[in-house]
Amino acid sequence: MKGDLRVLGIESTAHTFSAAVVSEKRGLLCDVRDIYAPPEGSGIHPTEASIHHAAVAAKVVKEAVTTAGIRWKEIDAVAYAMGPGLGPCLRVGAVTARTLSLSLGRPLVAVNHAVGHIELGCLLTGAVSPLVLLISGGHTMVVSYSSGMWRVLGETLDLTLGQLLDQLGRYVGYASPCGRRIEEAASRSHRYLRLPYTVKGNDVSFSGILTAAKRLIDAGEPFDDVCFSVQETAFATAVEVTERALAFTGNQELMVVGGVAANKRLAEMLGVMVDRHSAKFYVVPLRYSGDCGAQIAWTGLLAFRSGDSIPVEKSVIRQSWRLDTVPLPWRAGA
Amino acid sequence: MKLLYRGAEADIFMGEWAGAEAVFKFRKPLPYRLPELDEEIRGQRTVHEAEIIRDARSAGVRVPYLYYVSPRESLIVMQHIDGPRLKTFLQSADRRRAQVSTEFGRAVGTLHRAGVMHGDLTTSNVIVGESGVHLIDFGLATHSLKVEDHAVDLRLIKETLVGAHSEISSSVMSSFFKGYAEVVGEKRAKEVSKKLLEIERRGRYARVE
Repeated sequence: MKGDLRVLGIESTAHTFSAAVVSEKRGLLCDVRDIYAPPEGSGIHPTEASIHHAAVAAKVVKEAVTTAGIRWKEIDAVAYAMGPGLGPCLRVGAVTARTLSLSLGRPLVAVNHAVGHIELGCLLTGAVSPLVLLISGGHTMVVSYSSGMWRVLGETLDLTLGQLLDQLGRYVGYASPCGRRIEEAASRSHRYLRLPYTVKGNDVSFSGILTAAKRLIDAGEPFDDVCFSVQETAFATAVEVTERALAFTGNQELMVVGGVAANKRLAEMLGVMVDRHSAKFYVVPLRYSGDCGAQIAWTGLLAFRSGDSIPVEKSVIRQSWRLDTVPLPWRAGA
Repeated sequence: MKLLYRGAEADIFMGEWAGAEAVFKFRKPLPYRLPELDEEIRGQRTVHEAEIIRDARSAGVRVPYLYYVSPRESLIVMQHIDGPRLKTFLQSADRRRAQVSTEFGRAVGTLHRAGVMHGDLTTSNVIVGESGVHLIDFGLATHSLKVEDHAVDLRLIKETLVGAHSEISSSVMSSFFKGYAEVVGEKRAKEVSKKLLEIERRGRYARVE
């Protein structure tokens, strides 16, 4: 299509290697993923995951371009997730993106993975400038846009919600990510076991819940009851701080994004809360709640359109890259 | 009774108590929370808040007078303090901004010196009254003399300022620290602000210089 802009995006911050193509005029054209699966009882081993990514990279990228129905030379820019994430995994995505950028002769765009979750969420749900609850294995944060950046109004002081669920699951032998299996176990129980409910100011903390839950498991409490209690307690603290932030900012939109956004009980609790404030509630569609190339491609397109790109020799990776330090030129004036 | 403010965990009503204007703080059931967990948290927070307000007052912090406390109803009735919230005040570009910020620092310093951590020091929980800066909403307060806990209080102030008043946050923070240090002493103030940076550094993916 003439006058269109197409960006190929590569995601490789953790267990997912994914490539997607977005078009300025036609939106998301494809999103191809290959996910590293750790053995039962294990988490993501960064090196193992990166070996997986390196093995599937070429196949995933080719499939993305084929599925998008475009020719290589129709790609206008290549975006990659610069961080935050696991070093070895990030490197595979960066190398893939640099290679494509050099061989196609197209500019390279660096994208922050967390910003990607939010921008893709806005694209898919229609939210404009929402209060955002970002919950995944890497993040548990409540953020709101103000003066050029996403500002943090509350966050976890230790584990993320994703880590809490994964570590609980791994304790009984599941492989990461354990969210879905924990949710299933929790749905089979209605017996509440008291766990530490920790809200500090507008921040939450989950390490106490994890320790107490492991002790309950050791004491022989049924796993379903423990999962139910962990979800009820941990989610209630997250919803409480989100509600505070909603009341504080007076924002009329709440959007939840990130892998844990797939949890139905959490979405239900947030929905009940949002109703009390007569705000609009947006949940990122299930397929795009987890890590994907689409979040990088779309954010890359927004950034590229605002004139952003990075020379290959400066295209490093950033394992630690806080969301509230990322400039968002495309949101300026919003 | 008139609804003044629909907060995240409590509704605030304006009414009358023994002939005086009074604020009714009612911790409503939160429907997303499991009822047994919800009742326990609301009762606990009501009693706790009343005790802390009493302690803050004896330490010399400007706080509302308590008229009536009922844990069973999750209700606290207290004095009404006239004036804008600090949040509104800071948005109004008032020329007393520095002075008020310093006074806010002194109030928090006095509270901390008395061994109380507020736990929810957003700019919505500070009233710029005629007689001075008042602190309200002690729902998440705890007794603590720990540097860490006091730093957590200041971190929330900073977080709120950067989040909602980003353009003026550093000038407000420096006036605040002036007042805070006056009360707790330069040495303690330095310890707390050092700990504040340490906490920020502990944040996920943080790079604090």
